[in-house]
Amino acid sequence: MKIMTCPLNGPRPVSEFFYWGELRPMPNPATASDDAWADYVFNRNGAPGLKKEWWCHTPSNTWFIAERDTEKDVVLKTYFYEGDQ
Amino acid sequence: MSTNLAVSPVADIATLPDPAAQKAAVANLGIADQSLTPRHGCKGPGAAAWLESFGLPIPPQPNSWLPVDGGGLIARLGFTEFLVEGPATLIARLASTPRSAGVYPVLRQDVALLLGGARLDELLRQTCNVNFRPLDLAARPVVLTSMVGVGVTVIPELRNGQPAVRIWGDGSYGHYLWETLLDIAVELGGGAVAPHSFN
Repeated sequence: MKIMTCPLNGPRPVSEFFYWGELRPMPNPATASDDAWADYVFNRNGAPGLKKEWWCHTPSNTWFIAERDTEKDVVLKTYFYEGDQ
Repeated sequence: MSTNLAVSPVADIATLPDPAAQKAAVANLGIADQSLTPRHGCKGPGAAAWLESFGLPIPPQPNSWLPVDGGGLIARLGFTEFLVEGPATLIARLASTPRSAGVYPVLRQDVALLLGGARLDELLRQTCNVNFRPLDLAARPVVLTSMVGVGVTVIPELRNGQPAVRIWGDGSYGHYLWETLLDIAVELGGGAVAPHSFN
Protein backbone atom coordinates (compact mmCIF):
# COMPACT_ATOMS: atom_id res chain seq x y z
CA MET A 1 0.00 0.00 0.00
CA LYS A 2 1.37 3.40 -0.95
CA ILE A 3 1.32 5.93 1.84
CA MET A 4 1.14 9.69 1.39
CA THR A 5 1.37 12.12 4.28
CA CYS A 6 -1.26 14.85 4.38
CA PRO A 7 0.18 17.94 6.13
CA LEU A 8 -2.99 18.13 8.25
CA ASN A 9 -4.27 14.58 8.65
CA GLY A 10 -1.03 12.63 8.66
CA PRO A 11 -0.04 9.47 6.78
CA ARG A 12 -2.86 7.82 4.85
CA PRO A 13 -3.13 5.32 1.98
CA VAL A 14 -2.88 6.98 -1.39
CA SER A 15 -6.44 5.84 -2.17
CA GLU A 16 -7.63 8.69 0.11
CA PHE A 17 -5.99 11.25 -2.18
CA PHE A 18 -6.73 12.85 -5.50
CA TYR A 19 -4.13 14.16 -7.93
CA TRP A 20 -4.72 17.53 -9.56
CA GLY A 21 -1.70 18.01 -11.77
CA GLU A 22 1.64 19.72 -11.65
CA LEU A 23 2.03 23.08 -9.91
CA ARG A 24 2.65 25.42 -12.85
CA PRO A 25 3.09 29.18 -12.43
CA MET A 26 0.71 31.02 -14.75
CA PRO A 27 2.37 33.59 -17.03
CA ASN A 28 0.78 37.04 -17.05
CA PRO A 29 -1.77 36.75 -19.88
CA ALA A 30 -1.49 40.48 -20.58
CA THR A 31 2.23 40.37 -21.23
CA ALA A 32 3.00 36.77 -22.21
CA SER A 33 3.72 35.99 -25.83
CA ASP A 34 1.21 33.85 -27.70
CA ASP A 35 3.70 30.99 -27.70
CA ALA A 36 4.28 31.20 -23.94
CA TRP A 37 0.53 31.36 -23.27
CA ALA A 38 -0.24 28.47 -25.64
CA ASP A 39 2.52 26.45 -23.96
CA TYR A 40 0.95 27.11 -20.55
CA VAL A 41 -2.58 26.26 -21.70
CA PHE A 42 -1.97 23.22 -23.89
CA ASN A 43 1.30 21.55 -22.95
CA ARG A 44 2.13 19.36 -19.97
CA ASN A 45 5.53 18.06 -18.94
CA GLY A 46 5.32 14.27 -18.88
CA ALA A 47 9.06 13.67 -18.49
CA PRO A 48 9.90 11.76 -15.30
CA GLY A 49 11.75 13.69 -12.63
CA LEU A 50 11.20 15.90 -9.61
CA LYS A 51 7.71 17.42 -9.70
CA LYS A 52 5.69 19.72 -7.47
CA GLU A 53 2.07 18.63 -7.70
CA TRP A 54 -1.35 19.52 -6.33
CA TRP A 55 -2.91 16.75 -4.25
CA CYS A 56 -6.10 16.67 -2.19
CA HIS A 57 -6.98 14.54 0.82
CA THR A 58 -10.55 13.86 -0.24
CA PRO A 59 -12.25 12.97 3.09
CA SER A 60 -11.23 16.34 4.51
CA ASN A 61 -10.88 18.27 1.22
CA THR A 62 -7.38 19.36 2.25
CA TRP A 63 -5.34 20.68 -0.67
CA PHE A 64 -1.56 20.67 -0.49
CA ILE A 65 1.64 20.36 -2.51
CA ALA A 66 3.51 17.08 -2.86
CA GLU A 67 7.05 16.99 -4.18
CA ARG A 68 7.48 13.69 -5.97
CA ASP A 69 10.24 12.01 -7.89
CA THR A 70 8.11 10.51 -10.66
CA GLU A 71 11.07 8.58 -12.01
CA LYS A 72 11.62 6.68 -8.75
CA ASP A 73 7.94 6.91 -7.68
CA VAL A 74 8.87 8.43 -4.33
CA VAL A 75 7.07 11.17 -2.40
CA LEU A 76 9.81 13.47 -1.10
CA LYS A 77 7.75 15.87 1.01
CA THR A 78 4.31 17.40 1.35
CA TYR A 79 3.32 20.85 2.58
CA PHE A 80 0.65 23.53 2.29
CA TYR A 81 0.76 25.94 -0.65
CA GLU A 82 1.91 29.35 0.48
CA GLY A 83 1.39 31.30 -2.74
CA ASP A 84 3.77 32.15 -5.53
CA GLN A 85 7.30 32.52 -4.24
CA MET B 1 -31.08 27.94 6.17
CA SER B 2 -32.74 24.80 7.52
CA THR B 3 -30.45 21.80 7.35
CA ASN B 4 -32.31 19.46 9.65
CA LEU B 5 -33.38 16.18 8.16
CA ALA B 6 -37.05 15.22 8.40
CA VAL B 7 -36.24 11.55 7.95
CA SER B 8 -33.03 9.67 8.59
CA PRO B 9 -31.23 8.52 5.40
CA VAL B 10 -31.44 4.98 6.78
CA ALA B 11 -34.92 5.20 8.33
CA ASP B 12 -36.36 2.54 6.04
CA ILE B 13 -33.68 -0.07 6.76
CA ALA B 14 -32.51 0.70 10.31
CA THR B 15 -35.01 -1.53 12.03
CA LEU B 16 -34.37 -2.62 15.59
CA PRO B 17 -34.65 -6.14 17.02
CA ASP B 18 -36.28 -6.74 20.39
CA PRO B 19 -34.63 -5.19 23.49
CA ALA B 20 -33.09 -8.48 24.67
CA ALA B 21 -31.36 -8.96 21.32
CA GLN B 22 -30.15 -5.35 21.41
CA LYS B 23 -28.69 -5.86 24.87
CA ALA B 24 -26.81 -8.92 23.66
CA ALA B 25 -25.63 -7.15 20.51
CA VAL B 26 -24.30 -4.04 22.20
CA ALA B 27 -21.86 -6.07 24.29
CA ASN B 28 -20.10 -7.21 21.11
CA LEU B 29 -20.77 -4.48 18.58
CA GLY B 30 -23.83 -2.30 18.44
CA ILE B 31 -24.65 0.04 15.58
CA ALA B 32 -27.15 2.85 16.09
CA ASP B 33 -28.59 5.54 13.83
CA GLN B 34 -28.26 9.11 15.12
CA SER B 35 -28.93 10.94 11.89
CA LEU B 36 -31.80 13.00 13.28
CA THR B 37 -29.66 14.70 15.93
CA PRO B 38 -29.82 18.45 15.17
CA ARG B 39 -26.56 19.75 13.73
CA HIS B 40 -25.12 22.78 12.02
CA GLY B 41 -22.10 23.22 9.77
CA CYS B 42 -20.21 26.33 8.80
CA LYS B 43 -16.77 27.28 7.58
CA GLY B 44 -14.67 30.21 6.55
CA PRO B 45 -12.15 32.61 8.05
CA GLY B 46 -14.82 34.20 10.26
CA ALA B 47 -16.42 30.94 11.44
CA ALA B 48 -14.50 30.57 14.73
CA ALA B 49 -15.27 34.12 15.88
CA TRP B 50 -18.91 33.83 14.81
CA LEU B 51 -19.42 30.59 16.74
CA GLU B 52 -17.61 32.06 19.74
CA SER B 53 -20.17 34.88 19.77
CA PHE B 54 -22.80 32.25 20.65
CA GLY B 55 -20.78 31.27 23.70
CA LEU B 56 -19.53 28.09 22.09
CA PRO B 57 -16.06 26.79 22.97
CA ILE B 58 -13.71 26.65 19.99
CA PRO B 59 -11.39 23.64 19.75
CA PRO B 60 -7.91 25.19 19.51
CA GLN B 61 -6.41 22.40 17.41
CA PRO B 62 -7.56 21.32 13.93
CA ASN B 63 -9.25 17.91 13.95
CA SER B 64 -10.31 18.04 17.58
CA TRP B 65 -13.60 18.56 19.42
CA LEU B 66 -15.02 19.96 22.63
CA PRO B 67 -18.25 19.25 24.52
CA VAL B 68 -21.04 21.83 24.41
CA ASP B 69 -23.09 22.92 27.44
CA GLY B 70 -26.42 21.15 27.53
CA GLY B 71 -25.10 18.15 25.62
CA GLY B 72 -23.54 17.88 22.21
CA LEU B 73 -20.22 18.81 20.73
CA ILE B 74 -18.38 21.18 18.46
CA ALA B 75 -15.82 19.61 16.14
CA ARG B 76 -13.15 21.51 14.27
CA LEU B 77 -12.68 19.87 10.87
CA GLY B 78 -9.39 21.11 9.50
CA PHE B 79 -8.57 24.76 10.15
CA THR B 80 -11.74 26.75 9.53
CA GLU B 81 -14.67 24.33 9.27
CA PHE B 82 -16.91 23.41 12.20
CA LEU B 83 -19.60 20.85 12.93
CA VAL B 84 -21.90 21.60 15.86
CA GLU B 85 -24.31 19.10 17.37
CA GLY B 86 -26.33 20.05 20.38
CA PRO B 87 -29.66 21.10 21.82
CA ALA B 88 -32.28 21.84 19.17
CA THR B 89 -32.63 25.42 20.45
CA LEU B 90 -28.91 26.10 19.93
CA ILE B 91 -28.90 24.59 16.44
CA ALA B 92 -32.03 26.54 15.49
CA ARG B 93 -30.39 29.75 16.71
CA LEU B 94 -27.27 29.04 14.64
CA ALA B 95 -29.36 28.28 11.57
CA SER B 96 -31.54 31.37 11.86
CA THR B 97 -28.98 33.99 12.89
CA PRO B 98 -27.48 36.02 10.02
CA ARG B 99 -23.91 34.94 9.45
CA SER B 100 -20.98 37.31 9.80
CA ALA B 101 -18.62 38.11 6.94
CA GLY B 102 -16.37 35.18 6.14
CA VAL B 103 -18.81 32.57 7.44
CA TYR B 104 -20.26 30.16 4.92
CA PRO B 105 -22.91 27.49 5.51
CA VAL B 106 -22.11 23.81 5.12
CA LEU B 107 -25.09 21.60 4.40
CA ARG B 108 -25.11 18.83 7.01
CA GLN B 109 -27.58 16.16 5.99
CA ASP B 110 -25.38 13.35 7.23
CA VAL B 111 -25.95 9.78 7.97
CA ALA B 112 -24.73 9.78 11.58
CA LEU B 113 -23.97 6.48 13.26
CA LEU B 114 -22.80 5.36 16.66
CA LEU B 115 -20.86 2.12 16.89
CA GLY B 116 -19.51 0.58 20.04
CA GLY B 117 -18.64 -2.63 21.78
CA ALA B 118 -15.81 -4.96 22.63
CA ARG B 119 -15.26 -6.00 19.00
CA LEU B 120 -15.31 -2.52 17.49
CA ASP B 121 -11.63 -2.60 16.61
CA GLU B 122 -12.17 -5.70 14.46
CA LEU B 123 -14.73 -3.81 12.41
CA LEU B 124 -12.51 -0.77 12.08
CA ARG B 125 -9.61 -2.89 10.88
CA GLN B 126 -11.81 -4.30 8.10
CA THR B 127 -13.29 -1.03 6.97
CA CYS B 128 -10.85 1.78 7.60
CA ASN B 129 -7.17 2.60 7.12
CA VAL B 130 -6.63 4.47 10.37
CA ASN B 131 -5.36 2.70 13.48
CA PHE B 132 -7.56 4.14 16.22
CA ARG B 133 -5.94 2.28 19.10
CA PRO B 134 -2.94 4.59 19.65
CA LEU B 135 -5.07 7.75 19.62
CA ASP B 136 -5.14 9.68 22.88
CA LEU B 137 -8.86 10.03 23.62
CA ALA B 138 -8.12 12.68 26.25
CA ALA B 139 -6.99 14.97 23.40
CA ARG B 140 -10.46 14.55 21.84
CA PRO B 141 -9.28 13.71 18.32
CA VAL B 142 -11.40 13.98 15.18
CA VAL B 143 -10.37 11.70 12.33
CA LEU B 144 -11.32 12.44 8.72
CA THR B 145 -10.79 9.36 6.65
CA SER B 146 -12.34 6.89 4.26
CA MET B 147 -14.48 4.01 5.54
CA VAL B 148 -15.50 1.30 3.05
CA GLY B 149 -14.78 3.92 0.40
CA VAL B 150 -16.95 6.66 1.92
CA GLY B 151 -15.44 9.88 3.24
CA VAL B 152 -16.33 10.06 6.93
CA THR B 153 -15.70 12.10 10.04
CA VAL B 154 -15.02 9.91 13.07
CA ILE B 155 -14.81 10.69 16.77
CA PRO B 156 -13.46 7.83 18.90
CA GLU B 157 -14.49 7.67 22.55
CA LEU B 158 -15.23 5.36 25.45
CA ARG B 159 -18.82 4.53 26.44
CA ASN B 160 -19.27 2.54 29.64
CA GLY B 161 -15.65 1.48 29.38
CA GLN B 162 -16.13 0.11 25.87
CA PRO B 163 -14.60 1.62 22.72
CA ALA B 164 -17.07 3.50 20.55
CA VAL B 165 -17.00 5.74 17.49
CA ARG B 166 -19.34 8.39 16.25
CA ILE B 167 -19.40 8.55 12.45
CA TRP B 168 -20.75 11.18 10.09
CA GLY B 169 -20.89 10.64 6.33
CA ASP B 170 -22.68 11.88 3.23
CA GLY B 171 -26.33 10.95 3.65
CA SER B 172 -26.57 9.71 0.07
CA TYR B 173 -24.22 6.87 1.07
CA GLY B 174 -26.40 6.08 4.09
CA HIS B 175 -27.87 2.81 2.84
CA TYR B 176 -24.53 1.49 1.68
CA LEU B 177 -22.72 2.51 4.85
CA TRP B 178 -25.40 1.15 7.18
CA GLU B 179 -25.82 -2.17 5.32
CA THR B 180 -22.07 -2.76 5.05
CA LEU B 181 -21.30 -1.93 8.66
CA LEU B 182 -24.34 -3.85 9.92
CA ASP B 183 -23.30 -6.95 7.95
CA ILE B 184 -19.88 -6.86 9.59
CA ALA B 185 -21.36 -6.14 13.02
CA VAL B 186 -23.66 -9.16 12.71
CA GLU B 187 -20.69 -11.34 11.71
CA LEU B 188 -18.99 -10.17 14.91
CA GLY B 189 -21.95 -11.06 17.10
CA GLY B 190 -23.48 -7.59 17.17
CA GLY B 191 -26.32 -5.83 15.42
CA ALA B 192 -28.59 -2.81 15.25
CA VAL B 193 -29.39 -1.16 18.56
CA ALA B 194 -31.10 1.99 19.80
CA PRO B 195 -28.70 4.87 20.64
CA HIS B 196 -29.63 4.77 24.35
CA SER B 197 -28.32 1.19 24.50
CA PHE B 198 -24.81 2.64 24.88
CA ASN B 199 -25.70 4.65 27.99
